[in-house]
Amino acid sequence: MSDLDAASGLKLIAVCYAAGILSSLLARWSGRLALRVGHLFALAGAVAGLGVSLGVLLGGPGFTLNQPLPALFPFARLSLSVDGLSAYFLLVISVVAIAAAIYGPAYLAAHAPDASAARQAAQVVALNVFLGCMVFVCAAGDAMTFLLCWEGMTLSSYVLVVSDDRDGENARAGLLYMVMAHGGTALLLVAFLALTERAGGFDFAALRAVAANLDGTTRTVLFFVALGGFATKAGVIPLHVWLPRAHPAAPSHVSALMSGVMLKVAIYGMLRFGFDLLAPATGALPSSWGWTVLILGTTSAVLGVLYALQLHDLPRLLAFHSVENIGIILIGVGLAMILWRTEGAGGVLATVALTAALLHTVNHAAFKGLLFLGAGSVLSRTHVRNIEELGGLARRMPWTAGLFLLGAVAISALPPLNGFVSEWLTFQVLLGGAMRFHGPAGLGIVFSAAMLALTGGLAAACFAKAFGVTFLGRPRTPHAEHATEAPTSMIVGMVCLAVVCVGLGVAPGYAMRLLDAPTAGLLHGPGASAVVTARGPLVLSASMMPEGTSATAISMTVMAALLVALAALAWVLRREDRHAERRAAPTWTCGMTPTPRFDYTATAFAKPLRLVFAALYRPRREVVREMTAPYAVRRIRYAGEIVDLSETQIYHRVERGISELSRAIRDRSTGRIYGYIGFLFGALVVTLLLFGVGPG
Amino acid sequence: MSAETVQTVIDNLGALLLFTMILIVAAGQIYRAIYAVAAQSFLIAVAGGVLATATGNVDLWVIAGITLTVKAIVLPWVLHWVVRRMNVRREIEPVIPDAATLALAVVVVVLSFHLSASLGPVRQAITGNALPVGISLTLSGVLVMATRKTALTQMVGLFASENGIFFTAMAVTQGMPLIIEIGVILDVILAALVMAIMVLRVRSTVDADIADLEELRG
Repeated sequence: MSDLDAASGLKLIAVCYAAGILSSLLARWSGRLALRVGHLFALAGAVAGLGVSLGVLLGGPGFTLNQPLPALFPFARLSLSVDGLSAYFLLVISVVAIAAAIYGPAYLAAHAPDASAARQAAQVVALNVFLGCMVFVCAAGDAMTFLLCWEGMTLSSYVLVVSDDRDGENARAGLLYMVMAHGGTALLLVAFLALTERAGGFDFAALRAVAANLDGTTRTVLFFVALGGFATKAGVIPLHVWLPRAHPAAPSHVSALMSGVMLKVAIYGMLRFGFDLLAPATGALPSSWGWTVLILGTTSAVLGVLYALQLHDLPRLLAFHSVENIGIILIGVGLAMILWRTEGAGGVLATVALTAALLHTVNHAAFKGLLFLGAGSVLSRTHVRNIEELGGLARRMPWTAGLFLLGAVAISALPPLNGFVSEWLTFQVLLGGAMRFHGPAGLGIVFSAAMLALTGGLAAACFAKAFGVTFLGRPRTPHAEHATEAPTSMIVGMVCLAVVCVGLGVAPGYAMRLLDAPTAGLLHGPGASAVVTARGPLVLSASMMPEGTSATAISMTVMAALLVALAALAWVLRREDRHAERRAAPTWTCGMTPTPRFDYTATAFAKPLRLVFAALYRPRREVVREMTAPYAVRRIRYAGEIVDLSETQIYHRVERGISELSRAIRDRSTGRIYGYIGFLFGALVVTLLLFGVGPG
Repeated sequence: MSAETVQTVIDNLGALLLFTMILIVAAGQIYRAIYAVAAQSFLIAVAGGVLATATGNVDLWVIAGITLTVKAIVLPWVLHWVVRRMNVRREIEPVIPDAATLALAVVVVVLSFHLSASLGPVRQAITGNALPVGISLTLSGVLVMATRKTALTQMVGLFASENGIFFTAMAVTQGMPLIIEIGVILDVILAALVMAIMVLRVRSTVDADIADLEELRG
């Protein structure tokens, strides 16, 4: 693709989203029309984004697209710059945005049929702003554009979070989101302004040039400030508290975008800062960077999935899985930071690590998007969030159930789907990296690998619970009993993402070509396909591993073929069985009439793990028995809850501290104006006495 | 005018300013305080005029004119009007006895002269002792605000303090840029208007003085 085509592609994206905003504003007299037209333009923008990103990614190594923007500010030159990394994230955004735009209109119409036209129009406007801002955060060529779009992304997603219902829960979730997001943005502002002030300009090129001459301490401090900002947005534990509240509050296709894509924009920022803007001109990155990211990633991965396991609210459960997957991505990023520009095979391993992280980025976007859309279908048909009140939906919503199962298999990192590929790569690089370090460092990496394995297992357990309780068994409430299949357009939206999940799982070797530009461009080393694919695109292998380690190889395509063959074999073998005579008989239930309540519940399913990790969950349960006579229980009421440790140990303490401080201030303040002026006067005189009598 | 004459005139005006400040601090009736602050503003305007002739700075004439109209005529009139509307004679209500306030004011003046002795390089030949006088006016103004309960007298203190800042600015830099002076004057007008509206409204609706608002604290 030539420079000109790509530049006009960027313009096309902007025009599409702007048209989406304008048209839904104009069509606000009819909510249906606004929904349709707004989503249509969003779809067009996403398709254009896909085109631009593929053009840049396949345009050859080092292809960068620069596009100056009209000068809106006298002090900053605005520009767009799309290199391999930007284009890759643009790809991630576009893939999920396409599915969400197809899914959206039917979902919004079905979920809130009596919503006012103005509200629907506002949602579509915010959606277009949100998508446009995410695209241009990744395509920003200067700090000003980056920050403006970053803020636009935050504000529009806030509007979407609070737009869904009018109950207080959403408003509180939105407020928490707003506060946390702005705290993060404040940190980013500090990091950016510290650089722009030194550089005297806002261009990334100027920032890069000035950062090359920074001393080590300043560089590290700036990195950690920026890391704090991005980690807040990415929902890294312990900065994640807003995420499980805000994501489920938004309409489901927006949740898919927020969980699948918006968190990734924060990852983009981390990569841009760590490997590009703040990286020293030569030599490895300071070791504290990579290790911090690795530790944060490992913690988030394990804790995220552990908390998800105990939640029975479907969207919230999915949101905690986003925390987990961000953790897995960060493990890859952290390893890449540790290993980058180290001697020997370290550089190659860094490329593998970054490849794993980036691949997991797109994979998570695909399967988490799929899962959120599936959850949205369930939600729009039953209006129930708690999976304990569902059950038996597989018969009533077969397509949704099948697609949700596919997403669940992918997120549980089971072959032959895409989640397996990137987690397998992460393992390869963790094990390879561990061999390069001796003593505690190597042990730490091995520990991280063990935690990653635990995470995968727990995720599988969690989705066995989520899928089983939601879709299998018998319906436990009338809501679930009367559910019907979602409309076709919603199914189509989910199928788009399912195709991506299967494609990236079965033929990941071809996806490596797309990863060449970002990895080679960011690490200035070999591209992804050179180090990851051995013997053609069909066989994956972390090649060029250190001496003495045998590189493992795996062919996802062959594995998928084997699975299909095995399934066929099993089906053929069971055909014999089916001809056998059948006898229907009631289940023996101790003489009671079986009810749907007899089914395995999610709480019961998660109980063993709740006991194992009791120290972490601090579970609290309350059982109330209503007796009619001794031994004759009429009703049992059970209530249980677990705590989020970071919430109780960090946030509640801070909250208590602040309210105690303000109470102390209130008790000590007199409310007398002359009293305050007196304090002022006294302070003034004392200051004058202390500092006024200088060396005269 | 020669430099010595100007210096003598400014020194004498400074003495008069300090005298008006003592009148404000010691005033037992709100009317006296208002007249005193009007006189003080008038003296500041005169000082501005003198400096304008001495330095040939046109901006100083403008500032002196604005000071004369706004601070010596309009604002005292507003204060006077509010007092008349409220129909109270004695509106001073000191926190500590007048004698103690006066003693504190003396301390403040001594302190200012002591302090400005160390600011030698800042003092200029033409303005003589204006710097310590300005500082003591500013501090005494704050002192008046801190030792009075009612909003009106606190307003008088604010005007006095403002005058002090004005005089200090003249002494040190021979006037601030015109735009800043105008901005400051506008601020003072706004403060006076807000105060007047608040005092009258609070009194007419809930029959309480603005000082009673301290009862509202949680």
